[in-house]
Amino acid sequence: MIHTQFLGWGLQMTMLGMGLVFTLLALLWLLLTLVLRLDREPEEAVTKEISAQEATIKAERIAALADGAVGAQTPEPPTVNGMPADLVAVILVAAHQHRQTLRRQAAPQMRTAWPGSQLFASRWLAAGRARQTHNWQPRGR
Amino acid sequence: MIDPSMIPALLKGLDGVTWQAAVMMGISFVLFYLAIVKDYEPLLLLPIGAGCLLANLPLSPLMDEHGMLTILYRFGIENELYPLLIFVGIGALTDFGPLLENPKFVLLGAAGQFGIFLTLLLALLLGFTEKEAASIGIIGAIDGPTSIYVSGILAPHMLGPITVAAYSYMSLVPIIMPPVIYALTTKEERAIRMPYSQRRISRRTRIMFPIIVTVMVGTLVPFATPLIGMLMLGNLMKESGAVERLTKASSNEIANMVTLFLGLAIGSTMGGEKFLQTQTLFILILGLLAFGLDCAAGVFFAKILNWVTGGKVNPIIGAAGISAFPMAARVCQRLAQKENFDNFLLMHAMGANAAGQVASVVAGGVVLALMGAG
Repeated sequence: MIHTQFLGWGLQMTMLGMGLVFTLLALLWLLLTLVLRLDREPEEAVTKEISAQEATIKAERIAALADGAVGAQTPEPPTVNGMPADLVAVILVAAHQHRQTLRRQAAPQMRTAWPGSQLFASRWLAAGRARQTHNWQPRGR
Repeated sequence: MIDPSMIPALLKGLDGVTWQAAVMMGISFVLFYLAIVKDYEPLLLLPIGAGCLLANLPLSPLMDEHGMLTILYRFGIENELYPLLIFVGIGALTDFGPLLENPKFVLLGAAGQFGIFLTLLLALLLGFTEKEAASIGIIGAIDGPTSIYVSGILAPHMLGPITVAAYSYMSLVPIIMPPVIYALTTKEERAIRMPYSQRRISRRTRIMFPIIVTVMVGTLVPFATPLIGMLMLGNLMKESGAVERLTKASSNEIANMVTLFLGLAIGSTMGGEKFLQTQTLFILILGLLAFGLDCAAGVFFAKILNWVTGGKVNPIIGAAGISAFPMAARVCQRLAQKENFDNFLLMHAMGANAAGQVASVVAGGVVLALMGAG
């Protein structure tokens, strides 16, 4: 008898308790859905199962679009007097290097390094050093 | 000369050892083993084991009226301070994003609380009083702080076994859940794929979520206000990003400190004479049953959703509707991957698991409200 009474109470608790829990959480679900709808951010596409071929085609299409987009955003290449700026820079560097080489090889008054310097040797000095180091004369002569 | 009457005083400790205390010391060693060797919830089981050992040592001064363990118990368990502080830390650590991406999974969290009430019925049949039965049932929330909070109010004398059961079963999620899921689902059902649609959740929504939940639950179930309020406070601190120091402190220092105090205080309630009773065994068995029933109810509900949506819901994720966050979700993902290696259910399971976290707190509040506690 007592057990039946308790069981009845327990069943009431279960019905009421679970009913309340479900009602509250369903209400929460509704509220959250409402908030998410009002404060919506752009959604990412649903990932569907697709074949490898389809995926490749899709990826290529996206890549082409991206290429176009990148191209459209790239600014005009800079120019100097109608010539591409990169080319002008390369010419400048080459001319500067050539000038330095000429100065090194020029007469002593024009040299940037003194004779015997390890930094740069004139053609004349280089030839002398080479003869000293790699002597091709037979021994004993 | 030493007074001969001193010798019995020296042996007082040995005289004070009872068989119950010896058994409880053995139980504390088992808890140490589980925590240290098996790595089952070590943060809680180790302090609980220590509290249990210290409380059962003969004539332990720690258990005196002004002993440390008694003070820790009064300070944080009698007034439910510890579980609430832990909830702040849990809120600061939990990401409700997966739930916000799929708000319908809130219902899976609700289904995962069935075990509470079914266990309550069984406990009543076994002769427990109404309050005791409700306290045992709450183990089914699979949420340590909720179990401590509710049983601390309804049946403080059963706090020890209920806490040990709640935390032990939480750590046994990877062992308890799979057999229930396997028993209730077919291979085909477990292999169901669920496409994942990632919804961007704005910062504003993330900040509004804890406020909305607190206001809604607090208004409709005032008994759940302390639990939900603290959980959502932690989450609000995390999502707002405005109080990074407080968020870090809540999820690290405060949570760690309170966990130590809580474990020791709970362990101190495991005195041999109170703990070693038939009802403790019943509590442990009923707790396990509550866990199993929760998983089963969640899977059943997910099966219904699967049927309603025309096969779009994998029933495995129903089992994640319990509160053991995020372990339950990880177990679901592992089981789904066993059937199909390419199947990724993790985010759906995380959604259900986060819902379970909220639902368990709501269920705790509902139980307290129905029991007229306060």
